[in-house]
Amino acid sequence: MSIKKIIACERKSLGKVSKFQLPHHFKKVGWVLFIVSFISLFASSIITTDESLKSTIVIIVKYTMLIGLLMVSLAKEPIEDEFIKSMRMKSYMIAFILGVIQTLNMPFITLGVETIVDGGSTLKPVNDFFVLWVLLFCQILVFHVFKSTAND
Amino acid sequence: MTNTLKVERAILDLTQDDLAKKIGVSRQTINSIEKNRYVPSTVLALKLSELFNKPVNDFFKLTEED
Repeated sequence: MSIKKIIACERKSLGKVSKFQLPHHFKKVGWVLFIVSFISLFASSIITTDESLKSTIVIIVKYTMLIGLLMVSLAKEPIEDEFIKSMRMKSYMIAFILGVIQTLNMPFITLGVETIVDGGSTLKPVNDFFVLWVLLFCQILVFHVFKSTAND
Repeated sequence: MTNTLKVERAILDLTQDDLAKKIGVSRQTINSIEKNRYVPSTVLALKLSELFNKPVNDFFKLTEED
């Protein structure tokens, strides 16, 4: 396969990925999954006292929370036109920038808070769940703000 | 970019919702174009041109900022 064909193939597959979206009803499914997972996160400590089982539940619940938010993020609007697409792209861009800034700042914020509260601590890396949570939550929030202000 | 979409819409006696349905976009899109918050794509501009039966230049004008 020539390089030109490989580039064309890559471009085609990237184009397909960038256009991927879920049907509108996945927005409701995503929110339900997120809310149920969020409640389960707190309920896990009531359901069981077994620490290993509890940590397994927490990991699964965190995954389902992120999957729920991803569904909401990828779900189409009832009318998904070019204006909505441009707002969606802007919201992903803002979420990406905020996510990176938050991830870079978070260890220092945590260190500062722990130093004030406990009187000393070390720099800790940000966990992957937090990074993904910030990215998805920011995107959903910014997109919602854009949509709301478009009606004014 | 400035536009006279509101005027053209009024000439055809269309609401924002009617116009949105005719060209297959949301009402927010029409609202944002009318308020100069969003510059539509060439495809959408040509759809509007076809509906108003006027060249695009008649209702979309470049400003000095452009």
